[in-house]
Amino acid sequence: MTSKEVLVGQSAPSAHLVVRGVEKRFGGVHALRGADFEVSRGEVMALVGDNGAGKSTLMKILAGAYTFDSGNFYLNGKNVSIKSPNDAAALGIQIVYQDLALCENLDVAANLSLGSEPVKSGWSFLPKFIRPIDSLEMEAKAKKAIEQLQVRTLQSVRAKVGGLSGGQRQAIAIARAVGTQSTVVMLDEPTAALGVAQTKQVLEVVKRLRDTNHAVVYISHNMRDIFEVSDRITVLRHGDNVATYKTSDTSPDEIVIAMTSGLDDRSSSGSSSAT
Amino acid sequence: MIVLVRGRQVQREENLKIVDRLRALRETQIGAFIPVLLALVAIWGYFGLVIPLQDLLTGETENFRAIFLSPRNIYNLFMQSAVIATLAVGITIVLLLGEIDLSAAATAGVCAALLGVLVLTGIPSILACLIVILVGIAMGLVQGLLVAYVGIPSFVVTLAGLLGYQGLMQKILPTGNLNVGDPFIRGIARTLIPDLWGILIALAVFGLFAFFSFRKQYQRRSRNLEVDGFWVIWVQILVFGFIVISVVLTLNAYRSLPLLLVLLLGSTMLLDWVTRSTPYGRSLFAVGGNAESARRVGIKVNQIRVSAFAIVGLMAAIGGIFGASRYGSVSYTAFAGGSLLLEAIGAAVIGGTSLFGGRGSVWNAILGALVIGSLGNGLDLSGASAADKLMVSGAILILAVAIDALSRSSSGRT
Repeated sequence: MTSKEVLVGQSAPSAHLVVRGVEKRFGGVHALRGADFEVSRGEVMALVGDNGAGKSTLMKILAGAYTFDSGNFYLNGKNVSIKSPNDAAALGIQIVYQDLALCENLDVAANLSLGSEPVKSGWSFLPKFIRPIDSLEMEAKAKKAIEQLQVRTLQSVRAKVGGLSGGQRQAIAIARAVGTQSTVVMLDEPTAALGVAQTKQVLEVVKRLRDTNHAVVYISHNMRDIFEVSDRITVLRHGDNVATYKTSDTSPDEIVIAMTSGLDDRSSSGSSSAT
Repeated sequence: MIVLVRGRQVQREENLKIVDRLRALRETQIGAFIPVLLALVAIWGYFGLVIPLQDLLTGETENFRAIFLSPRNIYNLFMQSAVIATLAVGITIVLLLGEIDLSAAATAGVCAALLGVLVLTGIPSILACLIVILVGIAMGLVQGLLVAYVGIPSFVVTLAGLLGYQGLMQKILPTGNLNVGDPFIRGIARTLIPDLWGILIALAVFGLFAFFSFRKQYQRRSRNLEVDGFWVIWVQILVFGFIVISVVLTLNAYRSLPLLLVLLLGSTMLLDWVTRSTPYGRSLFAVGGNAESARRVGIKVNQIRVSAFAIVGLMAAIGGIFGASRYGSVSYTAFAGGSLLLEAIGAAVIGGTSLFGGRGSVWNAILGALVIGSLGNGLDLSGASAADKLMVSGAILILAVAIDALSRSSSGRT
């Protein structure tokens, strides 16, 4: 029995999304070697690891962008198979990539509804893609989504995204992920390019996601952000789990050591703070 | 209800500065017309007022050149610009995607030539029109498939299309010229809407525009969404009304509103609605703005690309029919071999549609075509040489693209 299984299996509420023993190879590169991961609803799970530890690969597997070679994927207790981003989206798993992928030439409301614009009723004789958009409904939805996340600095949902700040864009990208009935939201380095005030704004949004009972996966290199926002921390190293920590029971130093040298050097000390 | 709306809005607007109001106006649909409208006003002012004034001052009564703003010349101007405008409207659609279509004029040429030949062989003219429209769509579709699925840049695909379709047109018309006397086809350009009907149509369009503007405002207010400034709405309605009604009155003063213009404006209105108000149109803008983003939200980017090229084919075919109707003949130089292509692309870009994709409107293409048409017409009237025409057109085009590039870099920082 390895220490890993002990550490991962004891999370408090039954986890919403669970993957077990995920393996992924890219040619000769063994990117994931049986990694485990889980996240519950109403929880922010930070996913950390040094470059090349397999964070991105794991995240893309969760989002359906990659399929794993072997392993199991459970959502809400059921074994599911996710073959494409559309599968993941249909199951309520959304990812906010680092590059956000917003259309700068469209306004906030249009970005939030992009690909699933509400159409006016009574035009069913036309194919769906050519029915009139219910732009008022779209704006109302956008307003609600923005208010739900309490993005206070955003003045108008009719503002073009191209004119917004980095923090506002990040919030809109998050709002888009949340708006589509999602239960799991994954954030890839959401504060990487932001200043202090904007980082704070985004972290507030992440906390709001937790409060609205989403399962949040938070990938970051920034220990300060992680310790401010997360409930638990999963550390990956060389494509495998090191441990999962409860944020309140650990320290940035311990996480950094786990990221860089794993538990092996310290396992004799009993890895006291792992839950 | 409207009275109440007015009272509240005016109060709030008093605090706004003129600059803020102009900025708010710039964001609206009519606001996007402002640069090209100003260009048009400048050109019309120059040819219509400055040159006659010069003649007056220099005592040149022999060749007094005050005809530019005469109803007759305006009528001709609209008709001259109609074919350019039709193609420019189509090209706008691919420009929205950040692509280009160099083959539109050649497609129009092939369609016009085919139309002429089909009508000569005795096929009913309506059927012939439908056939060439389908052919035009197919010609665009093929290029779109090559761009989207084979991954060849649209510049190259449509350059090949330009050459290939030019050759095809010469094959269809070995003599390079064919008269089209068919009454139905000639009728498109010759039929005039009676004066009274023209005015009624203009008033109806104006009334509908005002009605929808106010209704939208009312719905916004009742759903507690942000509302446009009252001032902005009124300026839009009045500018729109002024343009529509004065155009019809001017045309009536010479002949009447030609059916061809009604068809052109009608199809433009339809395309404008499709591009701005439907999920399909939204995805055009999304692909043009950020194709990766569009792909991630499940938009089928390749299908959108193909469809845009098909729309260019459609508009090119319609342009071919319009051209055959207006000239009463189909000639190689009037379509594929002439300056039509560059004028059409120039019109779309001068109208304010970004070459970088994601920004523009089909109405702007119409205005851009008028700018191009007015330049040609005005320079002709003032006795400029073909060389002058080319050089001035080139300068205007550069100016338009420069405005596009500058407004693009500044809009990112507001």
